[in-house]
Amino acid sequence: MEEEFRRVAGIVFGAPLTRRTHRELLYCLTGGLAGVAGFVVTVVLLTSGFTVSASVIGTVVGLLLLTVALRVSRRLGSLHRRLSSRLLGQQVEAPPRFQPGTGVLGRLDRRLRDRAAWRGVWYSLIKLPVAGVQLYAITLTVFGLIDITYPVDWLLFRNHPGGTSLSPLVAVVPLPFIGSLSISSWPATYLAALAGALCVVIAAWLARGISTADHALVRGLLGPSTMAERVSELERTRTLAVEDSAAALRRVERDLHDGAQMRLAALAMNLGMAREKLDDDDATVRELIDAAHRNAVDALADLRDLARGIHPPVLDNGLASALDSLAASSAIPASVTASIGQRPAPAIETIAYFCAAELIANATKHSFANQITINISTERAGVLRLDVSDDGIGGADVTRGSGLSGLVQRVSTVDGRVDVSSPSGGPTVVTVVLPMKA
Amino acid sequence: MRVVIAEDAALLREGLTRLLEDRGHAICAAVPDGDALLAAVAEHRPDVAVVDIRMPPTHSDEGLRAALKLRHDFPRTGVLVFSQYIETSYSAQLLEGGAAGVGYLLKDRVANVAEFTAALQRVADGGTALDPEVVSQLFRASRQRGGLVTLTPRERQVLALMAEGRSNAGIAAELVVSGGAVEKHVASIFTKLGLPPDESDNRRVLAVLRYLGGKPQLQDGR
Repeated sequence: MEEEFRRVAGIVFGAPLTRRTHRELLYCLTGGLAGVAGFVVTVVLLTSGFTVSASVIGTVVGLLLLTVALRVSRRLGSLHRRLSSRLLGQQVEAPPRFQPGTGVLGRLDRRLRDRAAWRGVWYSLIKLPVAGVQLYAITLTVFGLIDITYPVDWLLFRNHPGGTSLSPLVAVVPLPFIGSLSISSWPATYLAALAGALCVVIAAWLARGISTADHALVRGLLGPSTMAERVSELERTRTLAVEDSAAALRRVERDLHDGAQMRLAALAMNLGMAREKLDDDDATVRELIDAAHRNAVDALADLRDLARGIHPPVLDNGLASALDSLAASSAIPASVTASIGQRPAPAIETIAYFCAAELIANATKHSFANQITINISTERAGVLRLDVSDDGIGGADVTRGSGLSGLVQRVSTVDGRVDVSSPSGGPTVVTVVLPMKA
Repeated sequence: MRVVIAEDAALLREGLTRLLEDRGHAICAAVPDGDALLAAVAEHRPDVAVVDIRMPPTHSDEGLRAALKLRHDFPRTGVLVFSQYIETSYSAQLLEGGAAGVGYLLKDRVANVAEFTAALQRVADGGTALDPEVVSQLFRASRQRGGLVTLTPRERQVLALMAEGRSNAGIAAELVVSGGAVEKHVASIFTKLGLPPDESDNRRVLAVLRYLGGKPQLQDGR
């Protein structure tokens, strides 16, 4: 029992001596000052922005002030996050970066609807009372430290011979007790020192409490926000990733076409010319050149298949054209009907194309069909719909067979949908629904 | 032959120029894009133009579009389109206005100098040169419909070469048989497939292609 009491007392009274407390006090000082400054700047900018924009002429200036306020708010947010992570050791993730719009109005619109910045404004406003408490904790510490030195001060400066009349010392106890402790004798200075020590202890715990609360605010208002915003951010980055990979594949194909394929074709052509010019008596040389020529031609064919698998160039002319070519090379007669108004994003076209290729290959392998029908349309707004049906034996299953499940995976990267209707005995109808943008 | 070449890769453009000049043909112009091609053909009125499909600025099908325009504006100039890929929809577009003076070959074919120049000569003379790849795609589709079942393997070979645009003499040389043997095969094929016998090579090619389903209907929406 007694031990327990000592332990607790040790923690309570030892707090001011810990590194953690020192960091928290430093946080209170810097964060408090920054908070007050941020509050003033934000309030001045916002109120002047709103008042000015209320008049017709001032709208432009007012909007400008608002955008400045929101920019400042983002800066302040990053400052507070940094302070929190440096001094409290609590990392807070930054909200999504600001995405500037295009054009003057677009930029303005994005800026004014920057939710992270507006949440930062809320933080700046709420921060004022918090900063008050933080700065109070600092004052309390400073005054407490001064009070602790009194017994020593007395001996140094007040050690006059007896009978000297002196005005009493006033211990600096911060609000709301200022001046409530006057000291007129040396022993009484110990009382002041005790009060000072108490102040320091209280300040330490106050700093801890307010730092915890402030950190919660920083995390809540300056971090990445609500789940919905997080989701939309993830969607945005996923779109970028999908589009980026489609563009990268396109680039690889283009580079192959302009580079290796072109050089190989030239090589094969030169070897062909060399072969023509060779005398018939150079049997060995002729054999060697023949072999080299054959290899070049084979490599060209391999490379063509590879490049086509990466990105079929005919896709650049649109899905309808690409599907026509696909249908034409199908082993089972395939017909294509297409009604495509606006072109979908390139990444979506690529996915639709490879879906169709996979479905045709599947039908060829398993369905024993006589006819494949491919239908692609953008009639429903915002949606690309691909139907591939055959008059085969049916029994296609998404859960079995890697072909269909791979397709479902590919489609799901853009929130698309695959419906398979394939009763035993047929017919099989596979519908792929894709968004127009990744 | 008087030839205009349109190819954006300098290496291939120069190689082709050399190859054809080496064989005694005259290169009127060798240009890197479609617009320059149209200008060069208008200026020189060559026997044949060799056109790469993918050229600047978009690197998709400018060559094809230029070729179609050439077919329309300068019907006496043969057009040999060549490309890294065979797209059946492209061959369908090229053959839309008939099979006379049209060629569509893979770039690989330039490796076989003799065959390539023979194909080019055929196109320059108003004939047809289709890549074996195009023909084999058509065969695949046709075989599935059961259209070719009654043909002997030899007759199929002859049919494929006919579809590529070769004359009886060309087929005889390729298969190393006599001209008479080829004529017999051809007659037999035409009877079996119910095609009208025809002397002109072009109309023969068209009939064969139509039989093979080589002119798929173009759909709307493009």
